[in-house]
Amino acid sequence: MRLSDWLESRTGYRKILDDILLEPVRGGARWAYVFGSVLTFLLLLQAATGVLLAAFYAPSSTTAWASVVFIQEKVTLGWFIRGLHSTGASAMIVVVGAHMAQVLLYGAYRAPRELNWLVGVLMLGLVLAFALTGYLLPWDQKGYWATQVATSIMGTTPVIGHELQELVQGGPAYGNYTLTHFFALHTYILPATIFVLLGAHLYLFRKHGVTPRWNVSEAELVKRTEAFWPYQLFRDLFACAVVFLIMVVLVVRSHGADLEAPADPASSYVARPEWYFLPLFQMLKYFEGPAEIVGTIIIPTLVGLTLLTLPFWDRARSRAPGRRLLPLAMAGTGFVVVVGLGLLAVRQDRADPTFQKQRAIAAAEAERARRLAIEGGVPPEGGLGLWKNDPLYAARALWDEKCAGCHSLSGAGGEKGPDLYDYNSRAWILVFLRDPDGPLRMGPAKLEKGMKPVQASEDELRALAEFVYSQSGTPDADRSLVARGQALFAEKNCDECHETDGQTPGQGPNLSGRGTLEYVKSVIADAGAPMRYGKRSKMPRFAGKLSDAELTALARLVRGGGRQSAASSTENADHSSPAK
Amino acid sequence: MAGQRREFLRLLTSALGTAIGLLAAVPGLRFLAYPLRERTVWGGEEPIRVAALAELEPGQPLRVSVVGTRRDGWLRLDGIKLGACWLVRDVDGRVRAFSTVCPHLGCGIDWSPNSKRFDCPCHGSSFDADGRRVAGPSPRDMDELEVKLAGQDVKVLYRRFRVSTPKKEPLG
Repeated sequence: MRLSDWLESRTGYRKILDDILLEPVRGGARWAYVFGSVLTFLLLLQAATGVLLAAFYAPSSTTAWASVVFIQEKVTLGWFIRGLHSTGASAMIVVVGAHMAQVLLYGAYRAPRELNWLVGVLMLGLVLAFALTGYLLPWDQKGYWATQVATSIMGTTPVIGHELQELVQGGPAYGNYTLTHFFALHTYILPATIFVLLGAHLYLFRKHGVTPRWNVSEAELVKRTEAFWPYQLFRDLFACAVVFLIMVVLVVRSHGADLEAPADPASSYVARPEWYFLPLFQMLKYFEGPAEIVGTIIIPTLVGLTLLTLPFWDRARSRAPGRRLLPLAMAGTGFVVVVGLGLLAVRQDRADPTFQKQRAIAAAEAERARRLAIEGGVPPEGGLGLWKNDPLYAARALWDEKCAGCHSLSGAGGEKGPDLYDYNSRAWILVFLRDPDGPLRMGPAKLEKGMKPVQASEDELRALAEFVYSQSGTPDADRSLVARGQALFAEKNCDECHETDGQTPGQGPNLSGRGTLEYVKSVIADAGAPMRYGKRSKMPRFAGKLSDAELTALARLVRGGGRQSAASSTENADHSSPAK
Repeated sequence: MAGQRREFLRLLTSALGTAIGLLAAVPGLRFLAYPLRERTVWGGEEPIRVAALAELEPGQPLRVSVVGTRRDGWLRLDGIKLGACWLVRDVDGRVRAFSTVCPHLGCGIDWSPNSKRFDCPCHGSSFDADGRRVAGPSPRDMDELEVKLAGQDVKVLYRRFRVSTPKKEPLG
């Protein structure tokens, strides 16, 4: 006995297969029928990629973001699997739209298929719920803030809003239980529900068969009838392949889904939902104050009810689209409004320079956070503790301990030494030249016989500043201005106190290499060295007290002029080589 | 003709189905197999101080924890227990370290002062004071760890080894 015969005798699987595959498609296979199968395929793909992601994901407020970074950046093809899952969500929305359009056009929601339409609309709701719950799971800025809006709206539901919101988010504010709740919803409750509904949907679909075009005679339908396998299945799989290929191309081109910086409740992130929720987001802008509930609850509820009850109020005698102008016109208008609102949202953001600037900052912070996480691992307190990996953070701590007593890095002025905010800029030098003993420069140091203000015109000062600025060897110095500054340097007798050869000590510091890492380091190490400020310096010597690495870190911080905040800086100019 | 078309469509449909399946399954399996290719849990790359020399008495094994930095998936844990080892100082003053992990199936090995033996509480493997297997199912002697003495400091290079194999094979 062959194995297949044995299996057949024990299970009767051949009849099941025949029932599934050889179902007659009334009127023959059509491309118009592919959308349901594509959606089933996408749902299975979402389930498969979802299970894969769950194998490397950890839902808690301290681990979610970190585990997703590692999926994205470290796990083999993690970006691809995560990208497919995220693109799959978008694809589902698009194909759901196509599926509904086909059903509407063919009148397939009408008797005797009312229940199947109902089940389908419920599944649409579930698809949106999947998108919403999945969005939060990475616990990044985008998901965190966009979902805040959604749960806040939930909280405005009359009567039960407050309880509903707390139940869903697992407490009065976002935290671990929000993630575990959303994870349970996204990976257990919603999938179980949608697969039960899918079973019902398919059963009801099989019971009543396809809804052929409205203008074909019964005799013609019978004549053209074909088996599902291979005629319809070929079209279905072909469509699945096309959708899948488009998804793969999109994922490869974008290198997977975005991942913003870890969720930070203290930040003011510009929250935008995923593209398919943009129409809702845009609509909220038009309802102010007490009218808000119109946009948040009333309109969405009315749209949902209209959809659900469609088969019961569409009383047209025929399925022909020409006889069903009301539902089709409503659907068409709805589509135009939804797309219009979405486009409007995109356009307003594109035209908003503040939004664009904040997006750029957020993107830079995201990039930096991911890099720090990958390089040093994420500390137990999660993504928000990442600043500890930041080499600049250590320098900041050192600065606070050793330097902040005298100097400032904020532009507010130091206690006993110059303010070093923006130290390595032309502007800093200009301020110095105009008034070396000013409150932002050497004033607080109260040096005896310090430098006098340079008596020169604004243009001359600019040239002198450019010359001093060029001492670091920076390529962005203006050569002609530097040449003029060099001449003025002699003319104004600056060279009586300052040498620029890098060898000869003078009354004031030898300015050769001013602004380079080595120069700044040498000042911190020993400001009283003959090549620097000499005996008049009141700054303590740090050589021997700080390690070379610490001196370098501090010098980097000063060179950056305090522009790099330890938590969010992205540029480290030409000297970024964080310890590995 | 119709039969030929049907056969051709069947072939094409099967090929399409297989192609889609493969395009999804191959990356999925590679993704899942990540822990087979890359180390996911590691730590203690450098020798770690576990005791002072003076704490060790000849013939009296001392159980010490090895505390260091552990990388675990995405996580970096500083000052965490990586594991433990038995330190043994012989009469010549030589210090040796043995992992507490039983080479049989990974249980924690204890020292029995009465019998002067290391015993595994799970399946009864037994080792002498030099870590040599004397009885029980363990396929090899206790796993010795590299010891570095720096002045008074006893440092150990902590490693884990594959269990249940006759050969001592480092993990990670």
